Formats: sequence, structure tokens, C-alpha cells
Amino acid sequence: MATASTISETANSGSPPAGLLVALTPLPPEALEKTLRNLSAAFSDQSVQVATPDPLPSDVEANGRLQAFTYAPATHLPGGWLLTAADYLNAYKVMQEHGSSACIILGPQAQTLQPEALANFAAAIGGGNTDLVSPRYSLGPRDGLVNSAILYPATRALFGTRPRYPLAVDLAVSRRMAEKLASVAQRFTASGQNGALLWPVAEAASAGLSIAEADVGTRAIPAPDSVDLNTVLAQVAGSMFADIEAKAGFWQRARLAYTPKSAAAHTQAAQVQAAEAEDLPDIQPMLESFRLAYSNLHEIWSLVLPPNSLLGLKKLSLTPAAEFTMPDSLWARIVYDFILAYRLRTINRGHLMGALTPLYLAWVASHLRLGSTTGTNSVGPEAHVEALAAAFETDKPYLVSRWRWPDRFNP
Amino acid sequence: MGQQVGAALAESMHRVTVKLVSFLPGLLALLVAVIVLTALGALVASVLRRMLVSARFDERFGRTQNATVADIAPSHSPTLLITRIAFWACVVLGVVIGVSALDASYPGNTQITSIVIPYLTHSVGAVIILLIGTVLARFLSRSVLIGAVNLQMQYARFLSLGVKWLVLVLTAAMVLDHLEIGGSIVALAFGILFGGIVLTLSLAIGLGSRDLVSRSLEKNVEPPADRNVLDDIPRPVSRSTETLRHF
Repeated sequence: MATASTISETANSGSPPAGLLVALTPLPPEALEKTLRNLSAAFSDQSVQVATPDPLPSDVEANGRLQAFTYAPATHLPGGWLLTAADYLNAYKVMQEHGSSACIILGPQAQTLQPEALANFAAAIGGGNTDLVSPRYSLGPRDGLVNSAILYPATRALFGTRPRYPLAVDLAVSRRMAEKLASVAQRFTASGQNGALLWPVAEAASAGLSIAEADVGTRAIPAPDSVDLNTVLAQVAGSMFADIEAKAGFWQRARLAYTPKSAAAHTQAAQVQAAEAEDLPDIQPMLESFRLAYSNLHEIWSLVLPPNSLLGLKKLSLTPAAEFTMPDSLWARIVYDFILAYRLRTINRGHLMGALTPLYLAWVASHLRLGSTTGTNSVGPEAHVEALAAAFETDKPYLVSRWRWPDRFNP
Repeated sequence: MGQQVGAALAESMHRVTVKLVSFLPGLLALLVAVIVLTALGALVASVLRRMLVSARFDERFGRTQNATVADIAPSHSPTLLITRIAFWACVVLGVVIGVSALDASYPGNTQITSIVIPYLTHSVGAVIILLIGTVLARFLSRSVLIGAVNLQMQYARFLSLGVKWLVLVLTAAMVLDHLEIGGSIVALAFGILFGGIVLTLSLAIGLGSRDLVSRSLEKNVEPPADRNVLDDIPRPVSRSTETLRHF
């Protein structure tokens, strides 16, 4: 059984690497100006190259240590709320042109990153031993719920990695990681999918590259292009499921090497966050959505989910709001079964992702109830997410078995 | 009299026998054409399948294309869809060649080909329409059901069933029209059924959305001047899902 060589740790502080490039995505003029100011404050004692596709403000020359320049994107940048294939490809091309050894790619609304966060990022990639630095944002208990429900636990369980935000808005990469990402991105851009999402943590894990995590504090997370939850969930989760399908050869053998020191620290932070968790929000609309879906989508869910899960959902649909708790193992199985159905094309993939939305809302309701200070059995949001990730890890053999023998193994 | 009847019967039997004898080679030719082309189709399908499997066509197709084709394909495999199309194309070609051979060997002025081949083509077309219609009905029905449930519409299932039967009725009418069965009765029945379903759906949606429309209209009405002072008392605002950030 192979072991994943990638281990995530909170990055040790070091000095920024020589030849560091900061690649920016398109920003409005004011945001660009503020980002440059923050970068100037973060790297006051070291010269750093900053590449932006936008025209530079007139006073940028005064910022002595920053070597800011405008680059012409080799691939059309679709814009958007996350880093896309085109962003990775362009960043690598700029790295090549300027002989940079490492690159920090900052996503939309980069102006909200504090100088300390930028310095942390640079220090994390600076040691030369790390290929990918994933940021750890300080988000509220009601933020980044899709990440907490699906992206983080599934990535951690399948790829044996620990970064809390596998689909981060910013990244720091070494040259070889940038090259790896560019080669993957090129496959998408060649077919005109410039806006395709990439999964850097999974790429690094499957390529055996080292991963670290850097605390970057608070950051304004860009809002998705579409306000419709179904559309965005289908886009993000669908992209992840496709990536899992593409890397099946790796994750079936990968195991988590060990629990890094940083995890304990984050668990403590989670308990602090639990204390800060607010009162229980109104979960009734989400429960109504789930119950309506249970009475209407049962036929479709039965094509995807095994009888055990359907029974669990039936019990859940009858549970009153005050006691509504979706077991972690049930949610893990649901996500795994949807990943399998995505792979086997049991039903149309668009329908599949649409059928996942009410289940996700049920998980959100349960998560909020568990995370609130007023709810019974409250455990705190971050502690709940960690417990959920552990449940995903425990149930991984189920996914592996069904992936290998989808017809023979059907409990 | 008896002799005349006997002669007439003998002559008739002779004519039938002659026709049968001249018809049999044509029938044999039809069978041979169908069998040979079926075998050829199986061979072509097998070769195609091997080629596509070795080229990992399904994986490449799934990576670059949307799922639509794979969804309608048997076992969700585009390779299987292509091989089956190739096989059945050969079978249909065999039938056409066979009918043509039968027509050539058939004596007399009757042109079987001119009657059978167009009808055969129409039948194949009708089968294709039926298949597409059924798949489309299921696809649209599920799309409507999932979309309506996610919009929290209480009548989602009803709406989905309505859409499904609309498409099925339309398909059935098209198939019958394609086969030239029923004539104007089909068009009339289709009009009544289609109109009935649309009217039922409209009524259902209209009645179901009555509250929604009422609330929408109430919002646009200006509040009366002598409103209740209790209205000014701030009420606890229930926190909705809008305070959540899914991403």
C-alpha cells in the first residue's frame, strides 16, 4: 500500500525566496492600487516582482522594492471568483519569462489580504522544501460551507492531505508545482475551457510534491458568479468529482501519513471558534427544502444511494428541527455514493448534482445546529468539520470497494 | 361445367405455383442479404469496439464533452452507442438490399420496392422518433422535477409528470403521423390531449401560485395612512439562509 508523500504542516517562517513573483488576477484600479500597497508593506526589505494583467497606477514607480509590470496574458483570462486554468497557465509563463523560482498567485479581491498574510505566504514558500502553500483563512462558522461539507473532508480522506481549503482563492507554488499546474491547465485551455477549475492540492498529492499551509487570517472571499446555489454547487462539486475520477489510480492507494502538529493547534482554535459561534440561525427553510425533496426525489436518490442511506434519510425527514442531526457517516456515504454515480453516469450528471443540493442543505442545517451555542449536543462548527473529515477517512474503504467492484459490492 | 371449374382451379393453382416458385428465390435472396449484412454488422461493430476501447474513447470523450451523449448511450458508454449504430445500420442496409432483390425477382408489374422500402424507412424513422421522444421525456421530466424541488415548488412532481406526458403525447402523435396511421384523427386527438395537458398545468400552476401572486401584489400596494400603530413596533427578524455563505 503506497503512502502519500504529501504532508501538510503549518509552514515554518522563513525568508521569502529570491526570484519571487507575485501574479495577480484582473483587479479594478482601486483594488490593484491597494494590493500593491499591501505588497509593498509586506516586502519592504526585499525586491519582489509583481505581474498584473491590468495597467499599473501612475505612482507605482515610487514603490521602490516592488518591480511591478503589466503582462499580456498568453491565454484569455475569463475572470471569475476563483483561480482558473488560464490563471495558472499565465502565471507559469510569466515565471518562465522572468526566471522566477516561486510564485504567489493571488485571486480576486486580493486587496483584502493583509501585508502580514502576504509575508506569511512568501515565508512559507521561501524555504525551498515546499512546492505548494495553501492558505488557511479565518472564516466565520457560516462561511465556506461547501468547502466544509464536501471539498475539505473528501480531499483529506482521498488524497491524504490536510489543507483546510483545497480550492483556495490564493496559492503559493514552487516552479515545479507551477509547471505541473500549467501542464494540467493546458489540457483545459487547449479545448477552450479557460475557466476550468483546477485542484492544486490533489495535483500536488498525486505528483508526490510537498504541501504546506499558511495562516493568512481574514480575507474577503469573492462571491460566485452565479447566485444560484445549484449552479455553483454543480460547477464546484462536479469539477471535484471529475478530478477524483481522473486520479482514481492514486487515491485508491494513498493514505494519510500522520496527523501533523498543526492539526492539534487548529483543533484548539476550533474550540475557540465554537465558543464564538452565534445563536442558531433559521434552519427551517433548509429542512423544508430537504423534506420536499425527500417526498419528490426519492426515486432519483434510490438510483444513486444504497438502501441504508435511504433509510437514514427517511428517519431524518421525520426528525423535528430541534433534534435534526445528520450523522457524519451518513453524509460521508452520501458524498461517496454521489462520486460513484458521477463516475458510473448512473443518471445525467447535471441531474445528479441537482439531486445533491437538498441533501447538502440538510447537512448545512445539521451543521449549523451542531455548531450553535444554543443547540443541544453542540460541538462547535470546526470541531464538527474535523469529525466529519474523520468520518470520511473511516469510510474511504467503502468508496474504494465500490469503485473497484461497483456491481458486486452493494451493501 | 365440372370440367370448366376443374380447369379454372388447375389454372389458378398453376399460376400460384409459378408465382411461388418465382417468389422463393427472391425471398431467399432477402434472407441471405439480411443474414450476411447482419454478420457484417457484427464484425464491423466488433472491430469498431476494439478500436475505440484501445483508444480509450469513452475516457477521452467524457473528459472533453458534456455528458449528454453518454447519458443516452446504452450503459452510458459512447463506444457502445457507436458500435450499436454501426450494427443496426448494417442490418437495415441488409433489409433494404433484400427487399430490392425480392422486388427484382418478382414478376409482374407490381413494384414492391416502391411500397415497402419507403414504408420501411418510415418505420425506422418512427422507431428513432419514439426512442428520442422517450429519452427526451425522461430527461425533461427529471430536469423539471429537480429544478422545481430546488425552487421549493410544492407541485414539483405534478409539473414533472405534466412535462413528461406532454412530450410523450407529442412523440406518439409524431410517430403515428410518420407511419401515416390514423390520418386527421391523430392530429385531432393530439390537439385535444396536448391542449388538455397544457390547460391542466396552467390551472395547477396558477392556483398553486395564487398566494405568491397575492403577496407580490400586496407589496406593490401603498400602505394605508391609518395603519395600525402596532405595525411600527420592530419585530424580531428571522434569520434566513441569506446569512450563510456556501462558498
